[in-house]
Amino acid sequence: MAHALRDTAAISGIGETAYTRGTQKSGLALQLEASLAAIADAGLSPRDIDGIIPYFPGGGIAEDFVANLGLPDLALSAFIPMGGATCVAALQTAAMAVATGVCKNVLISVGRTGYSGARVSTRLQQFPQFALAAEFEAPIGMFAPAQLYAQGARRHMDLYGTTPRHFAEVAVTMRNHAILNGNVVMNKPLTVEDHHASRMISDPFRLFDCSLESDGGAAVIVSASARAKSLKKPLVTIMGVAEGHPESPASIAQRPDLLEFGLVKAAKRGYEMAGVGPKDMDVAEIYDCFTFTVIRQLEILGFCKTGESGPFVMDGRIGLGGELPINTHGGLLSQGHVVGLNHVIELTRQLRGEAGKAQVKDAEMGLVTGYGDMGDGSLAILRRAA
Amino acid sequence: MSATPIPAAPPVPERPMPAPTRESKPYWDGLREGRFMLQHCAACGKVRHYPRPVCPHCFSMESSFKEAPQGGTVHTWTVCHHPFNFFFKQQAPYIVALVDMDAGVRVNAPLRGMAEKDLKIGQRVKLAFEPVDADVTLPFFTAA
Repeated sequence: MAHALRDTAAISGIGETAYTRGTQKSGLALQLEASLAAIADAGLSPRDIDGIIPYFPGGGIAEDFVANLGLPDLALSAFIPMGGATCVAALQTAAMAVATGVCKNVLISVGRTGYSGARVSTRLQQFPQFALAAEFEAPIGMFAPAQLYAQGARRHMDLYGTTPRHFAEVAVTMRNHAILNGNVVMNKPLTVEDHHASRMISDPFRLFDCSLESDGGAAVIVSASARAKSLKKPLVTIMGVAEGHPESPASIAQRPDLLEFGLVKAAKRGYEMAGVGPKDMDVAEIYDCFTFTVIRQLEILGFCKTGESGPFVMDGRIGLGGELPINTHGGLLSQGHVVGLNHVIELTRQLRGEAGKAQVKDAEMGLVTGYGDMGDGSLAILRRAA
Repeated sequence: MSATPIPAAPPVPERPMPAPTRESKPYWDGLREGRFMLQHCAACGKVRHYPRPVCPHCFSMESSFKEAPQGGTVHTWTVCHHPFNFFFKQQAPYIVALVDMDAGVRVNAPLRGMAEKDLKIGQRVKLAFEPVDADVTLPFFTAA
């Protein structure tokens, strides 16, 4: 029997601000601007929003949305503190809320001043999820995800022979895709040589292995599929969705296997709910805080075996026209960093046939992942309604 | 004529310091005494790190700290080139090794006195102690 949540909820609206490095706007203003765009895209009024899941910390909280949008009767306000896994995990909470009738239309939104506001090392110290890292690792010189995740990447290279050339292929492919999209931070071509010549951040990660610190806002609306069908845009349903938490979730250092991400658990449940597998995907939007993060997630998602993802990304396979186009908007590496909500938006565009020059021909089904904090994971599988 | 203000020297960046909790205080107290103290469950005897109130194996809330051996093998490492905190700018690049301690837990700490090119996963190292001030001593590794 099909899972009760399969296809019962839909992405009914999507919205973004310009992605920039430098803005005068606050995180809250960016978040509200994107939210209004998503509400308009759905053909709804702000008054129709009765559930809010804001990315936290950063941007606004439910109270700000009531005050700014005059929401008459907010029925759900939730935080999902999973870092980069938050936005896709929020789809699960939103889907449950609209499927059960608790809410009609749930707004998930991000507002981020990652360039003009607090930078990554300052920002993360404020997260409760980073308390252990702040106590035990920051004092010895490990603050940032680039440092904390580099040790896992080193293991993968040592165990499986993954190389910087594989990392570069991910960076270059994301850039090629970004250039096709009109709303990106990085719009100049990038070569493998540029990647290899970029400065070392935390070995083995170079500058172009790292996602952007950028400013911007993004938002999506989740509505019951039965309701979304009568709204403005083509129906894109959530077939499967799940979140997963790894062992030792707040400390990578103490995790028995540094390469175990929460996505291992989320992928199993997400695929089961959807009743499909990796071979059914026409396109994949994969959380790319680092090039290596994409490489490892491809294994966890079952696109290749563990240890084979380096060679898997080569030879155009993950580019447009390849077997599995990945991050057709340029991702966090080249479009902008709004904690992966831009990945949900891009997948929705692909399935609506609105992806412009980056459109994957006849895309009917795809997946989007989140990865965050110290390895939390989330997966959603979306499809265009027949 | 008004006096020309003397430009202030840029503030010295502060080292991020641990804020010990009720659970972790014995660990930090141990480092200050040059001892590697680890939390053990009083009921099932299993070691756990970082310190926390409940044993995840048997759910006992009783525990005690015991001195543990200071040797270990390198599980992995990174070389930090970009100082995400300005305090570390003068030290960069610095190696941070994640070490499988013989005591059965991991410790992440700077590795000193070894060149990056000589470093291998599985390398033997030992814990050492760096007093930072009267209250705080931080761990680092040296070649075994």
